Amino acid sequence: MKTNRISLILFILLISVALSACASGSRVVASGWAGITADEETAYLAYNTHVYAVNLANGTEIWRYPSEPDPSITFYAPPALTEDGQLIIGGYDNIVYSINPQTGFVNWTFEESEGRFVGGPLVTQHGIFIPSTDNKVYSLGFNGQPLREAFTTEAEIWASPGSDAECDCIYVASMDHKIYAINAQTGSPSWVTNDLGGAIVGTPALSDERVLYIGTFGEEMIALNADNGSDLWRFAAQDWIWGGPALSEDTLYFGDLSGSFYAVDLQSGLQKWQIQPGSAVVDTPLVTEEAIYFTSESGLIVSVSPDGINRWQKEFEGNTYAGPVAAGDLILVSTTQPEALLAAFDSNGVQKWTFSDASE
Amino acid sequence: MWDSFISLMINILLYIYAFVGQNFGLAIILFTILVRLVTYPLNAQQVKQSKAMQDLQENKKWQDMQKKYKNDKEKLAQEQMALYKELGVNPFGSCLPTLIQFPIIIGLYQAIIRALAVSPLQLLNLSKHISNGADLIPLNNHFLWMDLSLPEKDFGLAIAGFGIPILAIVVVVTSYLQTKLMTPPSTGGGNDQGAQMTKAMGLYMPIFMGWLAYSFSSGLALYFVISNTSTILQYALMGRLDWSNLLPKRAGK
Repeated sequence: MKTNRISLILFILLISVALSACASGSRVVASGWAGITADEETAYLAYNTHVYAVNLANGTEIWRYPSEPDPSITFYAPPALTEDGQLIIGGYDNIVYSINPQTGFVNWTFEESEGRFVGGPLVTQHGIFIPSTDNKVYSLGFNGQPLREAFTTEAEIWASPGSDAECDCIYVASMDHKIYAINAQTGSPSWVTNDLGGAIVGTPALSDERVLYIGTFGEEMIALNADNGSDLWRFAAQDWIWGGPALSEDTLYFGDLSGSFYAVDLQSGLQKWQIQPGSAVVDTPLVTEEAIYFTSESGLIVSVSPDGINRWQKEFEGNTYAGPVAAGDLILVSTTQPEALLAAFDSNGVQKWTFSDASE
Repeated sequence: MWDSFISLMINILLYIYAFVGQNFGLAIILFTILVRLVTYPLNAQQVKQSKAMQDLQENKKWQDMQKKYKNDKEKLAQEQMALYKELGVNPFGSCLPTLIQFPIIIGLYQAIIRALAVSPLQLLNLSKHISNGADLIPLNNHFLWMDLSLPEKDFGLAIAGFGIPILAIVVVVTSYLQTKLMTPPSTGGGNDQGAQMTKAMGLYMPIFMGWLAYSFSSGLALYFVISNTSTILQYALMGRLDWSNLLPKRAGK
C-alpha cells in the first residue's frame, strides 16, 4: 500500500508539472512589473513585494515598505510623488497606499477598489487620479478620501491617466479601446472616442498644439484632437504598442512589441526613422536634449541621438519593464536581475551604481 | 516547436471566442469538445486495446501459462509474446494513444490558461502567441456567475449567506464518476496491487482535481468539468461504462 501511495504522489506531481506553464529559460524571470519615480535625492522603486527608497548618490537602500515581505502585497504599478510630500502607489492587493517618502511609514490607505492597481496614479492640483482593473478611475483627495464617485469605463484600466492643465482635464486610456477626457474638478466626461481598434495600456502624451498621441494593441499610433477626440492621423506600427509615446519639439518616439523603435513627425505622422536593436519595447521612452533612451524586454537599455544613431547600449541578464526615468543627471532603469533591481547610468552610458535587495 | 503548438491552440481558441460572440466560457466548452472529437479515434483505439488486454487476462491459455511458468519469468515472457501474436493483441496498444493524446490535452490546458491572461506579464506573454485578434483583447472572462480569470475561492456563489464552491464540487463529482464508471472490473481479486492503486486513485484524484478547480482560475475548472463530462459521454457511446462500479460492493466480492 505504501508503494501505491508513493506512485500516486509521483503521478500527481507529474501531472502538476505538466499542467504548469513552467517553461522558462536561463534568464531571470519576472515576478512583478517594476515602476520607478524619483525626486532630487531619492529614487522610489516598486517591484514585486516591496517599495524601496534608494539613495540616488550611491544606490543604497534608505527604507523599504513593507519591511518584511508579505505575500498578499505585491506591486505592478509605478509610484508617484505629491507636492505635499506623499508617495502614492496602488498595490496588486486592491489597496492604494500613501507612504511617507522620508520614513517609509504608511500615512493612509484607500481600500474601496474591487480591482487591482496596474496603472500608476496621476497627481494634479485637484487630487490623485488612480486607475484600477475594476474599470474605474478613483479620484482621491490628498488625505485619501474619495472626492467623488469613481469614473467608470467599459474595461480594465492599466494606463496612468494623462493630464492637461489648459482644459483642466485628464485623459483616461482604457482597455475598452477608448480614450476619455474627464473634467478634473467635476469628474464629468468632456468627450470619448469611438473604438480606436485595440486596447490601450500606455499613457497618452499631449503636445503644445493640443494633440493627444496614443498607441494601441491595434498596432497603430494615433493622433487625436485633444479638444474633441477626433482622429488627426494614424501611423501603422509592426506590432502592439504597449507603452505611451514621448515627445520632443517636433518628433514622437515610441516602440512596439516587435522591438521596433520609431521616430515620427508630430504634425504629419510620417516616419522619420526606425531601428530595431532588441526585443519588445514596453515602456515610455525618455527624451532629453541630447538623446533618447528606451529599454527592451530582453534587458537592453539603448541611447540614440535624435537622428536615430546608436550612442550606447547596455544589456542586463534580467528583463526590463520599467524605465528609463530621469533623476537629476542620472538615467534609471529597473531590471529583474536580482543584482540590478535598479541601475543608474550617466548620459554617456557609464554605470554609476546598481541596487540589489540585500535580503534576497 | 512546443511554443508553435501552443500558439496554434491559442489562436483556434480565440477564433472560436470571436465566432461565439466573444464569450470565453462558451469558447472553452466548444474548444474542449472539439479537441475531444479530434482525439476520439485515438481514444477509441485505446479503449479497444484495453478491452483486448482485459479479455486476454480471462483467456484460459493466459491463466494456464501464469501458473505453469510462475517461477520462470523469461519463459513466461516468451509465451506471453507468442500469445499476443496469436491473438493479434498489442500490449502497448492502449499506452500509445494515451501518450499521443497527453501533449494535446496539456496544450489545450495551457492555451486556456495563457488566454486567461490577467497580469501585464501574462498579457505580454499572450501577445507573443496571437497572430490575429489583438482587437479581441481584453477577453470577456465573464460566464454565468463566474469571472473565469479568478479562482472560485475569490467569488464563490453565495447561497443563504454561505460561499458555495459549486464549480469545484461539480469537478469533484464528475472526476469521481469518470474514474468509477471507466474503471474495468478487477480480474485479480480485491487484494492485488493494481486494484488497490486504482481504488486510491478513484478517491484521491477527484479531491486533487477539486482542489485545483477551487484554487486556480475558474476557466480551468470549467475545462475540467467539460473534459470529464465529454470523456464520460465518449465512453458511454462506446458502451464502455460500468455502472455497477457505482453500486456498493459486498464484502468478499
